[in-house]
Amino acid sequence: MIDFSIIITALPALARGALVSLAIAAGASFIGLTFGALLGVCHQSKNKFLSIPVTCYITLMRGTPMLIQIPFFCYYIFPWLGLDFSLAVKATLAIGLNSAAYISQIIRSGITSISSGQIEAARMLGLKTWQTAWYILLPQAIAVIAPALISEFITLIKDSSLASTVSVVELFKEGTIIISKTYNAIPIYCAIAVIYLLLTISLSWIGTHIQKKVRHYASH
Amino acid sequence: MLVIKNISKAFKGRQVLRNVSLEVPSGTIAFLLGSSGVGKSTLLRLLNNLEPLDTGQVLLNGKILDLTKINQEHSIGMVFQHFNLFDHLTATENITLALEKVLKKSSEESQKIAQNLLAHYGLADKGNAYPAQLSGGQKQRLAIARTVALQPAVLCLDEPTSALDPVLTNHVASTITDLATQGLSILVASHDVSLLQRLTCTVYLMQEGAIVETAPSAELAVYPERYPQIKNFIAGHS
Repeated sequence: MIDFSIIITALPALARGALVSLAIAAGASFIGLTFGALLGVCHQSKNKFLSIPVTCYITLMRGTPMLIQIPFFCYYIFPWLGLDFSLAVKATLAIGLNSAAYISQIIRSGITSISSGQIEAARMLGLKTWQTAWYILLPQAIAVIAPALISEFITLIKDSSLASTVSVVELFKEGTIIISKTYNAIPIYCAIAVIYLLLTISLSWIGTHIQKKVRHYASH
Repeated sequence: MLVIKNISKAFKGRQVLRNVSLEVPSGTIAFLLGSSGVGKSTLLRLLNNLEPLDTGQVLLNGKILDLTKINQEHSIGMVFQHFNLFDHLTATENITLALEKVLKKSSEESQKIAQNLLAHYGLADKGNAYPAQLSGGQKQRLAIARTVALQPAVLCLDEPTSALDPVLTNHVASTITDLATQGLSILVASHDVSLLQRLTCTVYLMQEGAIVETAPSAELAVYPERYPQIKNFIAGHS
């Protein structure tokens, strides 16, 4: 008989781990969104000195497992660059850099979804480039990319578990520590799964709510 | 009066416009007639700074225009073939956006201009409608209203009837005539002979990037044999 009562005693540690997971996901989302937006715009550039390196970066980051990227960044690239952060911060950065490759493509699809005719019309009417971006491109692009972005952020919550590969004690690592002490894996894994599910469902709900707001803004 | 002098344009070595020259006095219509790909739309795009000019000059009322600044001066405006309305904005907002953000008019003044224009073009009850909720003819009129709101001296219309049924062609013709009556110099690029037949204009037949024949439409109607190339084009397209 599986003893689920162990979850009660494990809950504080799991909750602590969940907060770390959320912090990693939030940090990686921020890095992914800002760097991904930059990559997405550069990827669209007609300047090959911009678009070719960006294409190589995106291909590399999307074509290799994050499980390898995280230790590679944390133990080789960041120290080589002289970045002396905690492993948690380094793992967050690594996950964010990976996510940026995916988010860049989401941003790019948003930009290309707006007809070039509308951009020409804005130019003909005398709108400056930033005004065209702000009043024409952005409201329509956000409405297009919001569902894919929310999906990417949900993925990041789950991907935060990969920070455990460099010994960051997030939700999954907290669970494995408890299991190594109690030898009672099933209830703890179930508890971890339920917590991830609660986190992703909550984010999905918040995302849907924001999407409605964005649609409202984009059409007004 | 709009004067176009010796305009040429090439794309990647392919000559699209060859020494195009024409004059469009205020209150008149120039009808650029020709098959697809002869350079009609390119000429309109050059005038609106949507493509850079290779060689040539454009003068408005005797003054040489710097086409790179034409979008801020609003002396030339364009109505696109596919209207290019802003899908996320209402009909009113499509008109007020440039009035507020470019001409820096107040919201109240912009709203008033938009309402007047919408009423003038038979869209008074469509102010809160989005482009997707409008018919082809209504979109066309909204696109015209959006451009005319900036009070250009020259209005370019690119294939204005390509997305409309024959009944609406009559409405477009009367709208264009109405705009010319208001004193605008109008350039229409089209291969639609039925539209041409409804306008009093000067016809410029274009072939391979050059104007090959010019005719006043009234004279063309009575003496088509004097303009053999235009006559042949019309015969082949009507």
